[in-house]
Amino acid sequence: MATKEELQAIADQEIEDAKPLNKSVNGVVSEFSDDDYAQAKIDLGNSKWNAQQFGYIEARQNAYPPITDQLDEIYHNGIDAWKVIIKKVKDDNPKPS
Amino acid sequence: MAGSLEKISETISTGSQSSLIVTGINSTYDVYVVQFYVRPVDNDKDLLVRVTTSGTPDTDSEYDMATKFLRADTSFGNTPVTNGVNWFFNSAMANDSDKFVNATLYLFNFNNSSEFSFVTVETAGFNDTIPGLVGEQGGGVHTVAEANDGFSLQWESNSNFASGSKVVLYGLKK
Repeated sequence: MATKEELQAIADQEIEDAKPLNKSVNGVVSEFSDDDYAQAKIDLGNSKWNAQQFGYIEARQNAYPPITDQLDEIYHNGIDAWKVIIKKVKDDNPKPS
Repeated sequence: MAGSLEKISETISTGSQSSLIVTGINSTYDVYVVQFYVRPVDNDKDLLVRVTTSGTPDTDSEYDMATKFLRADTSFGNTPVTNGVNWFFNSAMANDSDKFVNATLYLFNFNNSSEFSFVTVETAGFNDTIPGLVGEQGGGVHTVAEANDGFSLQWESNSNFASGSKVVLYGLKK
């Protein structure tokens, strides 16, 4: 598990490697300013940190069956069978320790 | 909301831009509208949205949003955020050439230096990780009492906007 500082260092290097980055303001294209590059590094560092720390939440949300299917599973096969399905999603998308 | 749209500015990606900005909000209109039609060149990217001041994106942590995350494949979710570093009105967008994110946002109080800037949003796009049709509907506020003159879009990880991606700013004429 990388620290936030380690991920930020990776992000900084990736932005350096990606130069030049461009923006278009009202149709006028120009290269990022120094401030734009600095913010791009922060944004990418935050993105990497969020993906590492909280990516499992979205992954689980996407993997859980629809509520109606879950209720149907409980009705037909019971709570224990439903728990098996839910546990697999959690195990496949573990929370960072 | 009756009225007509007066086009103020637009920006179109040629495929090598990682930030699209439209400006021109002033006291001419009470309400402004932004429409965008965009997709990333890389898969699975969140769309990051910010207001601008003097043409520069506001990079503070004052972005709140409350939207309903609409999904064609299953029940809907909620997206509550307080003190975020941006709004993200679409997440994990696909880069397929036929799957652009389409959105209309109404902008309120942007030019008022003593009130917060509010947006209402409705989008439709194609999520890469579900995969499937998704949308966002709800609103956001930038909780700083300042005048904002525009609107900034960028993809997560500074992925470029695919060629043809377009953002247009309109004034809503009464």
